[in-house]
Amino acid sequence: MQRHLDPDRLVLLALSEETEEQTELDHLQHCADCRHEFQTLRDVAEIGAETAGIRDLPPPPEHVWQAIRAGVADARASAEPAAVADPSRHRVRRERPRWLAPVLAAAAAAVIAAAGTAGFDRFADREPSAQVVARAILAPLETVPPNAGGDVRVLSDGRLRVDVQNLPLTSGFHEVWLLDPDTPGKMVALGNLPGRVETVLTVPAGTDLNRYRLVDISDEPHDGDATHSGRSLLRGTLTK
Amino acid sequence: MNSDDELAERLRAGDETALREVYDRHGAAVLHLAQRLLGNRADAEDVTQVTFVAAWTGRDGFDPHRGSMLGWLLGIARRKTVDRIRAAARDQRTSRTVQVQASAPPVDESPERVVDRMVVADEMRRLPEEQRRTLELAFFDDLSHPQIAAVTGLPLGTVKSHIRRGMANLRRRWEVDGATTSGSRSTGPSRAL
Repeated sequence: MQRHLDPDRLVLLALSEETEEQTELDHLQHCADCRHEFQTLRDVAEIGAETAGIRDLPPPPEHVWQAIRAGVADARASAEPAAVADPSRHRVRRERPRWLAPVLAAAAAAVIAAAGTAGFDRFADREPSAQVVARAILAPLETVPPNAGGDVRVLSDGRLRVDVQNLPLTSGFHEVWLLDPDTPGKMVALGNLPGRVETVLTVPAGTDLNRYRLVDISDEPHDGDATHSGRSLLRGTLTK
Repeated sequence: MNSDDELAERLRAGDETALREVYDRHGAAVLHLAQRLLGNRADAEDVTQVTFVAAWTGRDGFDPHRGSMLGWLLGIARRKTVDRIRAAARDQRTSRTVQVQASAPPVDESPERVVDRMVVADEMRRLPEEQRRTLELAFFDDLSHPQIAAVTGLPLGTVKSHIRRGMANLRRRWEVDGATTSGSRSTGPSRAL
């Protein structure tokens, strides 16, 4: 059997730039190594030629990334980092806000608790007539700069004071929600934050704060869609 | 451009900006694959979302020494696509209604081929500029070596070596990450090119 075919020659043959001579055909027929080599190069050339149509694939629309962010935030909030979340709960489309996360994990709660109690009693000092009945420290979700945060007081007269810092800028507005962490999709919209440091909103009379205990601040676009955008920025659980 | 190794390390450390980089780099390929397999844009976007969330939660499972980030992602995307197709079939059975068949996927090619193409296209992008350019002229414009030399002004010997090395690079990547080469097709003994 003659020597193996020259690698350069094989490339030319694979690209169909030149045609096989009879001696080469004979060799290919008898030499499995060269045959394999030739076939592989030919496959590569073929696939390579097919890549012409996919050189500049358009990037996916931004709402796909937003849905990924929401899914990742959920995965982080509901379990330890590497746990298998159920991402199929999230959908790109927004017919229903199915993205809502279960309660914050104990680990996250610990972080929130550690986030400090500075400035905690300001409202109570100023509002001697209304007692604080529940409070929450708001912590940034993972997609939000870590210096963002806030705290929430619910007063005995039904008012809810929100104090936020370093929220990311929005082209829409920031909305405050009370979520039922046990029933994804159940929530109460309280109103938006006008951009001042402190905002007073009203909790609708009869709202069960044991159920709707997860305070959520979201970034809402001006799209006329009254449902939650899925882009949560801060969250914290109300406690007595 | 960050290497897969570096991105993998940042992902493992829980750095979400790394996920965004991976998405910017490969999101289009994942969406393209899903759309080719499902034939439906909305489902393909869903699969893309589920794929990246699964990549995030399963990021410890990515080993840059066993394959590329893109190959890993496309593997996840294929599984998620199959899940989606099965779930749709199940839904149809349980609802027992005769429905319009969810737009049938284009069956003109195998999923493996779509993956192979994407992996090779990704490797093309990574090749050194001159190597890539000569290969493009050979693949897309069907130019001969001497014609490429004339067009690029490179010596014929350089063109030859670019093409040979470029092909070797594509081949190596394809054998590591491609769908038809992994498992279903023995790579056999290969001589160094």
